[in-house]
Amino acid sequence: MTATIELDDLQVQLGGRTILDGLRGALNGRAIGLLGPNGAGKSTLINTLLGFHQPARGTARVLGMDIRQEARKLRGLVGYMPESDAFISDMTGLHFVRYMAEISGLPSEQAMERAHEAFFYVGLGEVRYRKLGTYSLGMKQLAKLAQAIAHGPKLLIMDEPTNGLDPPARQRMIQLVREIRDASDMRLIISSHLLRDVEETCEEVLILRNGRVAALCNLEEERRANRKFLELETIGANGQFSSALQQLGCECAVFNNGRMKVVMPDKIEIREVYRIAEQQGIQIRKMNHRRDSLEDIFLNAMEQTGAAHGGL
Amino acid sequence: MAVYKRAYRSYSGPITDERWRFLVLTRYSLTQLFSSRAFSWFMMATVLPVLISAAYIYISNSVTAQLALRMGNQSLLVVDGAFFSKVLISQAWMALFLTCWAGPLLVAGDLSNGALPLYLSRPLNRAEYVAGKAAVLVGILSCVTWIPGLLLFGLQTSLAGASWGWQHISFLAAILLASFIWIAVLTLISLATSAWVKWRIVATAVTFGLFVLPPGFGEAINGVMRTSWGRVLNLPYLLEVVLSNMLGVPVQTHGPFSNEPIPMAAAWVVLIGVCFASLEMLNKRLRAREVVRG
Repeated sequence: MTATIELDDLQVQLGGRTILDGLRGALNGRAIGLLGPNGAGKSTLINTLLGFHQPARGTARVLGMDIRQEARKLRGLVGYMPESDAFISDMTGLHFVRYMAEISGLPSEQAMERAHEAFFYVGLGEVRYRKLGTYSLGMKQLAKLAQAIAHGPKLLIMDEPTNGLDPPARQRMIQLVREIRDASDMRLIISSHLLRDVEETCEEVLILRNGRVAALCNLEEERRANRKFLELETIGANGQFSSALQQLGCECAVFNNGRMKVVMPDKIEIREVYRIAEQQGIQIRKMNHRRDSLEDIFLNAMEQTGAAHGGL
Repeated sequence: MAVYKRAYRSYSGPITDERWRFLVLTRYSLTQLFSSRAFSWFMMATVLPVLISAAYIYISNSVTAQLALRMGNQSLLVVDGAFFSKVLISQAWMALFLTCWAGPLLVAGDLSNGALPLYLSRPLNRAEYVAGKAAVLVGILSCVTWIPGLLLFGLQTSLAGASWGWQHISFLAAILLASFIWIAVLTLISLATSAWVKWRIVATAVTFGLFVLPPGFGEAINGVMRTSWGRVLNLPYLLEVVLSNMLGVPVQTHGPFSNEPIPMAAAWVVLIGVCFASLEMLNKRLRAREVVRG
């Protein structure tokens, strides 16, 4: 299967500043999450994939198409739901989606039919003849989704799709994204700073920090591995303690103030951790026993790249 | 249309030809423009001077009509270069008013609502976007400039005889060239100011202001510098220079200062220069994403 995104030493400079730097990696999943704190470069990456920004160095391929050489062909296969407000306020919702579908290449009649379908699909069927300027924020988000899927793209790019939505509207959006993912052959790229959104919808995650790849992981594999975590808060823990745990077969990450994260192999019991702590005179003040989550992956990536780049 | 499908399905139907897809923008923009009854009425009103001119041509060629109107001196009614110059200049002002009305609706709305990324994330580039929007103005302005000009020329030729047409065949080039450059100037200035201003009402005011305020400044320059070159800031005057020279009629004097007209070549250079400057402004502004420098 063709990779959804392949990044090949991609560098993007805007206004004299390097925004994305040396991005490499391949993402094959059908639903890919782009994660990162504000300013990490998620939206810039999306804009570059869409051809809005030219790479200063390297390139990327989306669905096997080079963004430098086949940008137009690529845009014919993409549906894009931008983060910010993007609509024509004095058009009715239906008229707007039909218009966008026609620009994407659908003949007028088919565009009309698809616009109706898209509106019903996103749950705005009853308001499709109302002007977009009168829509609520949640309705505008759904209208943006409708225009992005009306022409039947092969790849749907969503930039912060749940931005500004109240909990029921957010849940509805997540549900729609899941349905689209499961009911069609469309691939998805979802950019968000909300871990939950990505965790609930994506199979693979690209985590960006300061314009660099902080982590690239397959959530499905992580979920399958289903590793157990211990989060410890200790007094007196040192390198000796983590070495002893590693000798048991654990993976350890040591943070400030005696905090530790320990990945436990299945065969090791928690009492072994207590035993080593007792032997070394270390106080365990708090222990959380939990499964692996995207939050752990994200925080780990942030800590690691933070350490590599001298912290935040 | 009954709609029952509520599950997502992909699309595998026909696709339109990419080369002409920019005309979708034109079609929708025209629909939007003519959905306003006031605009439709105004568009019709711009034809009135042409109808009056057609009546003038008919009367000047019809002895019966002149007798019926008790017009004694037939020689007062002459259809010549000066006549076509006056008609086209009046239509050029009509075109300006139409542009001020329609132009800002085309681009400012898209920019103020952030719709540009939606257009440009599709198989449509910036040039096609501009072409789609410009085609609206080109179409509308053609209806009030060169098309009526040619119709009037044809009417005069049919009434006065083919020999008149052959004798004045150069009028056709004047009508077409002057109209085309004026349409280009109006279209590009209007799109460029709309792209920069974004707010429709202000864009209308700025577009109109660019045609009526610089002439005053130009006359001030003429007064201070004792020259007539300040008139290069007067775009309607430059059109008049082009038109008058091509139709072989003297350029009317304007303003209280120097009466020496601007050379036609200079008028062409300025008008074409304005077009290129507007294109550059559009190129700078019409981007899917703005980049803040620094």
